[in-house]
Amino acid sequence: MNPETFLQLDRVIHEKGRLAIMSSLAASAELSFTELRDTLGMTDGNLTTHVRALQQEGYVSVTKSYRDKRPLTTCSLTAGGRKAFMTYIDLLEKIVRQNKK
Amino acid sequence: MNQNWAEENLQTIRTLMERTAVYRRALAPIMLLAGVIGLVTMGIGLYYHLDTTRQFCELWLAAAVVALAGAFLLARRQALKDREPFWSSPARRVACALFPPLAGGLCLSLALPTVRGDIASLTAFVWILFYGCALNAAGFFMPRTIRRFGFIFIVCSCGLLIAYGVVWTHSDPNAQLVMGFFFGLLHLACGIYLYLTEKGKNAA
Repeated sequence: MNPETFLQLDRVIHEKGRLAIMSSLAASAELSFTELRDTLGMTDGNLTTHVRALQQEGYVSVTKSYRDKRPLTTCSLTAGGRKAFMTYIDLLEKIVRQNKK
Repeated sequence: MNQNWAEENLQTIRTLMERTAVYRRALAPIMLLAGVIGLVTMGIGLYYHLDTTRQFCELWLAAAVVALAGAFLLARRQALKDREPFWSSPARRVACALFPPLAGGLCLSLALPTVRGDIASLTAFVWILFYGCALNAAGFFMPRTIRRFGFIFIVCSCGLLIAYGVVWTHSDPNAQLVMGFFFGLLHLACGIYLYLTEKGKNAA
């Protein structure tokens, strides 16, 4: 494997929990905090920490609103987040190709 | 380091994306279309007095075919517009979930007209139950509203079936009106709700 390709991988996305969050959000326009937590089987605290890290990087946007008089927190990928995720996948595919050679 | 980690990561990403992808394509227009077809069918049934079980089944089966074809065209148009595959993974899951209850309902529709006696109301109640089960199953891969909508159908049909045996022993409610309410009005209401809440979320 070319170490340069590995070093190009986005370290923020590469973490297991954050990669799962990015993957889930990439497949959906937006997901509520509860949906994300239940899908990924994370604790509230764990998910909050990871979402915050992704938010600080500008990859995820968090919206707070109300539905049926209940607070609703929804997460979605930003344009930058989607681009970074696609770049990450492209690099992974490149690594897979290199490994097969 | 495991040489396959990149491949495993890609597989994890694929699995997660498939699991979270929710079918949302053209749901509001489909519900609105179904609602309009439901009301028009009810109008035709009442106007022409299509009250026997056979006439009732034929009329509503024809309406179901039209609604299904319309839903297919709406979903396909939306997919083409968004440049997405029509037969996407969420679409496949929704179709698989819808199929068993709807097929059950269809078999029942073909069998019931052969039964003697007027059982149009009972047919309507059973259809509502089957349709509710279909929506409830498909709702696991769609916005939560659809699952709740299906649940309403299931609960109401159970109530109606119990009432059919206990309360309406001499005269049944008008089957056309029952169908018009559930497949017309309720669908229109659901379509409007989806239009207001699911705006801009058409991805499948």
